[in-house]
Amino acid sequence: MEKALNVRHLVKEYKMPKGPAFRAVNDISFEINQGECFGLLGPNGAGKSTTMHCVTGFYPANSGSIEIMGRDVSQDPKSARQQLGVCHQEETLDNDFSLIQQLESYAGYFGFAKEKALSRGWELLERFELKDRAHQLSEHLSGGMRRKFQVLRAMLTEPKLVILDEPSTGLDPEARRTLWNEINLFKSNGGAILLSTHYMDEAQRLCDRVAIISKGKIMDCRSPQELIAHYIGLDPIEEEIRPGYKLTRPPNLEDVYLKVTGQRLGGSV
Amino acid sequence: MLHSIFRVWKRYYDVFRKNLVYGVVTTFVEPLLYLFAFGYGLGSLIPTLDYMGVTLEYRAFIFAGIVGQTALFIAFFEGAYGGFIRMYYQRVFQAIAVTPVTLTEVLWAEILWDATRATFGIFAVLLIGSIVGDFSISGAIAYLPIAFLSSMLFASLGVFVASKAKTIEEIGYPQYLFIFPMFLFCGVFFPIERLPETVGFVVKLLPLTGVAVTARSFLLKTPVDWLSVSASIVWLVVFVPLSISSMKKRLVK
Repeated sequence: MEKALNVRHLVKEYKMPKGPAFRAVNDISFEINQGECFGLLGPNGAGKSTTMHCVTGFYPANSGSIEIMGRDVSQDPKSARQQLGVCHQEETLDNDFSLIQQLESYAGYFGFAKEKALSRGWELLERFELKDRAHQLSEHLSGGMRRKFQVLRAMLTEPKLVILDEPSTGLDPEARRTLWNEINLFKSNGGAILLSTHYMDEAQRLCDRVAIISKGKIMDCRSPQELIAHYIGLDPIEEEIRPGYKLTRPPNLEDVYLKVTGQRLGGSV
Repeated sequence: MLHSIFRVWKRYYDVFRKNLVYGVVTTFVEPLLYLFAFGYGLGSLIPTLDYMGVTLEYRAFIFAGIVGQTALFIAFFEGAYGGFIRMYYQRVFQAIAVTPVTLTEVLWAEILWDATRATFGIFAVLLIGSIVGDFSISGAIAYLPIAFLSSMLFASLGVFVASKAKTIEEIGYPQYLFIFPMFLFCGVFFPIERLPETVGFVVKLLPLTGVAVTARSFLLKTPVDWLSVSASIVWLVVFVPLSISSMKKRLVK
């Protein structure tokens, strides 16, 4: 089956005002299968968002190749992006329009007919529990609702690959559950997801594979269970969560994240 | 490419239509105020003047000048302030440019929309100038495509300024140091022949001069100063691609 995303030897450097260029992404390769959620975990500045910008084709890569459903992002960006939905880390909603108008307008950029856009838009608004807000401007929604709507918009045009850059930031627990259900539904319908998150429980719950990225390089890439077994083991961990109060819990992805990024960066965690 | 540009242009048009009262007020009121204040107010004090060897009613002279001023103000401010807001605060450019529409197409649409909106304003001035008998109607109709191109020139200047401004306040520098001086000295209110020779030569090279000269030649059948018209064409040809590449440089790392 064709890979939803195929990144090969991606290098991205930023020109600096003084001195040599800064290499934000340093020769990374990974692929995402259809129906798979692939997580990018790493500290701030590790290169996650840069990688995502390169995958969208918004930032040109210095070298390497990126293909979405076999379409080269740099050679054939329109065709590649036809298969893509993006939820940026920053808010990029079009506050001049109501939610349903935004969806109609956004789908138009993909060549969707108005009727199809509206029908799909209403369906998603209902599933994301935003139907009663459809005629409001997005600036009148809470931060969490706006975030949810941005994910909804990314899924509107039935893309084969969705990029979600910290999608659940600012969401309350109930909204996070709704979002997770939608992500799982998208996956079960064959959609692929490139996910960046700072919530380890979210990555552990949603991702089939996780790449831990630090200083622009992938340090390791496996399923969350394999990463935990490899770096931490399966024995319960005793943790002092506040002075005098210890808790025994199963090992999790956060332990792996801290161990891999912390140790390899040369500092104890 | 054209279809994608049109989709984005339509997004701007839909916003304009949605906020129609605001759009009409901000597009039409300012040129009409200038038209009445200077055309009828100042025009009543100065009956006629000599312009490139032709004697004109001052009101007609001013009306044609305000056509250029309308292109300048509406297109520049929409491109500079509107463009900055869409790029920096709303991130409209970034949101659309990860769809099958490319960033270049988004920026073309920005310039074309800014020019469209300015042309709406110019249309109102042309209409009034024609109704009161100052403009030739055929000249006014023939001038519309030129009005659009003139507006594209100032829109591209606006987008260029937006691409260079670190904050929205910084747009004030070119506004006060370049746009307002052009408005005052580039032949909107008086023939530039009245300026000292060296200053007049420099003014001829500024973009508004050629735009005002062209407007008068179409609307009042006055002679053409080819130096200033050529200079405006050069500004247009240089600044449309320059503004697009400058904005791309700002957004794409």
